[in-house]
Amino acid sequence: MMRALWGTARHDLAIWIRSPLAILASLLPALGLGALVAVLTVTIGMQPVALVQEGHGEAADQMGHLLEADSEAYLVQRMSRDDAAGALWQQRVAAVVVIPADFDARVAVADAHLELFLNNIVDVDLADDIRRAVTRSLAELDAPQLGFTGERRSVTGGVLLPNPFRVAIAEELLRETDTGFLAYQMVPILVLIVLSVGVLGTGMMVARDFERHTAKLLLLSPASRVAMVAGKLTGGLLATTALLLPVVGAAVLSGILVPPPGHWPALVGLLFLLVVMSVGLGLLLGLVVRRTRLAAMVGLNAAAYLFFLGGGFSTVAFLPDWIQSASRLVPTSYAIRALRQALFYPDLQGFGHDVAVLAACALAAAALGVLSLGRAWRRA
Amino acid sequence: MSWPVAVRAALVLELQQLRRQKAFVALTVLAALTFLATMSLFGLTGSELPLAVVDEDQGALAGRFVHALQGVRHAFSVRPMGGDAALAALRSGRVIGAITIPKGFGESVARGDTVALVVRVDNLNTDLTSDLERALPNAIVAFGDGLGLPGLRARLVEKDLVTHGETGFLAYVSVSALGLDALIIAGILGALAMAREWEGRTVKMLRLAPASLGTIVAGKVLAAAGVAALAMLVTTLVVTFGYGIVPALPIGSALAIALCVLSFACMGACLGALLRRTLAIVPFVFGMAMPLYIDCGALEPTRFDGEWIWRLAHLSPLYYATGLLEWTFHGLRVTPEPVWLDAAVLLALAPISATLARIAISRRRDTEHSRQRPRHDEIRDVPA
Repeated sequence: MMRALWGTARHDLAIWIRSPLAILASLLPALGLGALVAVLTVTIGMQPVALVQEGHGEAADQMGHLLEADSEAYLVQRMSRDDAAGALWQQRVAAVVVIPADFDARVAVADAHLELFLNNIVDVDLADDIRRAVTRSLAELDAPQLGFTGERRSVTGGVLLPNPFRVAIAEELLRETDTGFLAYQMVPILVLIVLSVGVLGTGMMVARDFERHTAKLLLLSPASRVAMVAGKLTGGLLATTALLLPVVGAAVLSGILVPPPGHWPALVGLLFLLVVMSVGLGLLLGLVVRRTRLAAMVGLNAAAYLFFLGGGFSTVAFLPDWIQSASRLVPTSYAIRALRQALFYPDLQGFGHDVAVLAACALAAAALGVLSLGRAWRRA
Repeated sequence: MSWPVAVRAALVLELQQLRRQKAFVALTVLAALTFLATMSLFGLTGSELPLAVVDEDQGALAGRFVHALQGVRHAFSVRPMGGDAALAALRSGRVIGAITIPKGFGESVARGDTVALVVRVDNLNTDLTSDLERALPNAIVAFGDGLGLPGLRARLVEKDLVTHGETGFLAYVSVSALGLDALIIAGILGALAMAREWEGRTVKMLRLAPASLGTIVAGKVLAAAGVAALAMLVTTLVVTFGYGIVPALPIGSALAIALCVLSFACMGACLGALLRRTLAIVPFVFGMAMPLYIDCGALEPTRFDGEWIWRLAHLSPLYYATGLLEWTFHGLRVTPEPVWLDAAVLLALAPISATLARIAISRRRDTEHSRQRPRHDEIRDVPA
């Protein structure tokens, strides 16, 4: 039986390796999303802003310095008023901040104004980012600790400086380390790769047997049906793992995948369960659609829903309640949460629960896929 | 055969083919709706971070501060709760931070003292942490301004380019997602129309047909574009009624979508003629759609992302589609180029792509060559 199982698995794996387009079909959407995250990392956050400094007193200079120093929020370019107006119109800058000529004189009588010309013809998200950043820089003029570094320094320094707003921030960070946008979003891409390769790849392999009527030939072989069905599952597991390993290796080498000490076994176990679940779903998919082209389309749709509803590109806890409820029904939400826990958190709190749910889903998908495939072959 | 007759014949034949592939067409539309839904999820995450507020003071001034937090536009979803609940919510990732207004806050502020508010932040994701850190001083400034506290030396005067209201992030993203949908639906259907001729080995018959290849390509593209336009009607209705987005220029919006569909169907036809296999086309379109979409001004005008990204964006057909759609739906000019130029580029891409598809069909040498070569583009049997 083991020979038949291993033979079927090796056969499927060999077909898989010799089908570059099928591999491409599985990987390209996930890699496309990866490219999207990389582009977003470059584009998100910092907005180009023109600074027109017409006043040159001490306060005006300080204000200009505060705006330029907030490199986390802006890409500041100093310009004349006319150049800034042109840049705003040509969308080379999203806003123009003007420090008026009488800024110092008005600061002396507590009546100064900083002018913000904002390109709010785009969406509110961009406009709000700029408003908040400029307001923070302005607040820093009167309360230096409200600046982007000051909020954290007030804790580390342990010094509370009085300010005219009479409110200060003492920020306490929950974690010693934080995660950049790229690493945070790239990790779920791993889940998408497993889903795409497992579901699509296995689905297309099973559909191919029906499309080419080779399922009948399999039935006529002297090997037991159980062994061959299990071989199909094993073949899918091997193929998915073979594609996943280089991706994980590259992520580790590039520093994107750096789990805390002792978390590797948990991570490997989690990925294995995810592979099993994806392959089980792939078996079911191929069985239902029985056409490789349809398997590709349905698989892509299914992988996209599983990924996005699972919180692949968002923080599910911050979304509306109905989406959170829907997300609980999606096994990938447990996988992504467990993956983030294993990678970004020092402990594995809640990991066991998520992995248990994922394991149940993986077992159910694999068992259902194997049983259904066995029955479908019998009828083929 | 006259060209109108040839175009019509190719169109009718293609429609008959598509009728036989209802499931595939339906799944293509579903995929487009999937992208629309997923982009909406992204839009929903972009604002209103959940922030736990523990008000231990319960006084009027503390209330004013909470009001100031709520007043920072689209920044926070304020969730009042007790200290333990806030900590639990923070540790379980349900809130981005927890701010505590200590007992005696009101008295201290009234006395002129400065009170430090402890803010515990889940700094797992630096992007969200930055959003929080940027928004909190805004609430403090609003609080100070609202109380008319002495000693505030400068204020911000905002002069917006338009004063009639701003476009919401979700509204902006969902309209640009329409361009993505058009690319996916029309692109795949256009590509399928061409690839089918190679998969069914009927491309030779097309060459032998008593009609020019250009008219045949035109008929096929028109059929694909027609079906894609119907599918786009569904997604546009979802955007209009589901998201409540009323086009600023209804006729202009319809024409813009029609232009996008036609142009993308032609590009799809070109892609189909080059790749010649559906199994390659579907993932290629899906895989390329997202990067093309992001670098097209889908989330904000591309020029704000820097010069090189903006220049690169000109290679994405979605750049021109987004410029056109955002203008017709929201009246927004999101490309430095005039809108008519965006439309002109899309219009020009259609015949260029269709011509390339026609040239690809007429390249007989490649087909003969591919007949002799083993095909690496499908799932093949392994020799025993």
